[in-house]
Amino acid sequence: MASGSHDRIPPLTLVPSASNAEAESSDSESTGGNEVAARDLDWSILMARAQGGDGEAYRRLLTDIVPYLHSLARRHHRDPGDVEDTVQDVLLTVHAIRHTYDPHRPFGPWLVAITKRRIIDRLRRQGRTRTREVALDFEDVTFSTPGANLGEADWNKRVLRDAIERLPPGQRDAVRLLKLQEMSLQQAAAASGISVAALKVAMHRAIKNLRKMLTKSGDGT
Amino acid sequence: MITTPDLIEALATNVTPVRRLRPPLARAAFWLSVAAAILVLLGVSHGARPDLAQRLQEPIFVAGMAASLLTGVLAAIGAFLVSLPDRSRGWLLLPLPALVVWISTIGYGCLTDWIDFDAGSLRMGEAARCFATLVLTSVPLSLLMFVMLRHAAPLRPTPVALISSLAVAAITASALSLFHAFDATIMILMWNFGSAAVLVGLGALLGRKISSWSPQLPAPSSR
Repeated sequence: MASGSHDRIPPLTLVPSASNAEAESSDSESTGGNEVAARDLDWSILMARAQGGDGEAYRRLLTDIVPYLHSLARRHHRDPGDVEDTVQDVLLTVHAIRHTYDPHRPFGPWLVAITKRRIIDRLRRQGRTRTREVALDFEDVTFSTPGANLGEADWNKRVLRDAIERLPPGQRDAVRLLKLQEMSLQQAAAASGISVAALKVAMHRAIKNLRKMLTKSGDGT
Repeated sequence: MITTPDLIEALATNVTPVRRLRPPLARAAFWLSVAAAILVLLGVSHGARPDLAQRLQEPIFVAGMAASLLTGVLAAIGAFLVSLPDRSRGWLLLPLPALVVWISTIGYGCLTDWIDFDAGSLRMGEAARCFATLVLTSVPLSLLMFVMLRHAAPLRPTPVALISSLAVAAITASALSLFHAFDATIMILMWNFGSAAVLVGLGALLGRKISSWSPQLPAPSSR
């Protein structure tokens, strides 16, 4: 079948593509336009050879179009994984329907149409996934038994730790030594070089400040 | 997951020569000639409706007939054009004018025949033969269209399925009005719109099904 069908492929004649004609009409964009037209012509020739079974031309064509596909996909997808998947989808589709390409017509629009289709497909699939599936946030999963509410305990700890960080240095040290490291007043005084009376005052003020801060943040939320 | 360079390598290694599609107009002409052949075969085996000569004198019948045939032809051309990735979706509108004329003549016939509607004129034998015509026309044409347009599956499945269903429905409706004499307009309306709706609905359903098929990487051992 392969050789028979190969014989039937009509001889390839190249015609100026639409982009080529446009490039000729405008002088200001002629350099860029000519580049695009030349690239399109190259791709047309490579694709025509690939249709005839030329693996090397096909490899060159696919390698050449990948950066272009990347730039098209990046306009619609932010996640690099999605961009890569779209590019691979396009390559597979190009492979599956390569017999629909007519070398008498420019290659660019053919490729862009397929790429758009694959981008839209992926966006739709993502939309469906988003409406039907909910990402689980483990902090929200709580049960009636206190042991299971680890998320809540973590949350409270973090708020308290943040509040302690915001205390003035003297009060923060008092809390750290007396409460977090569970030292006695004498041990703390020895460790920090602050008098017992000063530590007591600092601790008292720290508790007062913490109560104020935590009540405020509790009201705020 | 396979990386893009690996994918390219796999595709390039497995590339086989493919036969390019013929121009869309030539493919539409081929499909239409098969449709014409089916109509001729049906005409030979079944015979035209007894009152065909008389009905051909009626401008509305002739206009409706011509419009449904034209709808079929234009929809088939549109289907083969739209199935290609780089052709405009505007070709979907190609059969629209003929479709409007066809539907308007059906509506008119319905209004005029409504008064003469006689329940006794509907016989099961005729209805069964009518159904046979419907199946014999629409099934082979749908299958052929499906095979010829399968490459459109990863591109525009629903529009292509819709417009090709319209082509099949219009040809089928023409066959029905050529070969079956029914005074019961309701019956014809049911066949016309029923077959169109079923084909279009089935086409849309199939289109969506097919769209979920993704082209597979060719296995290294194949061919």
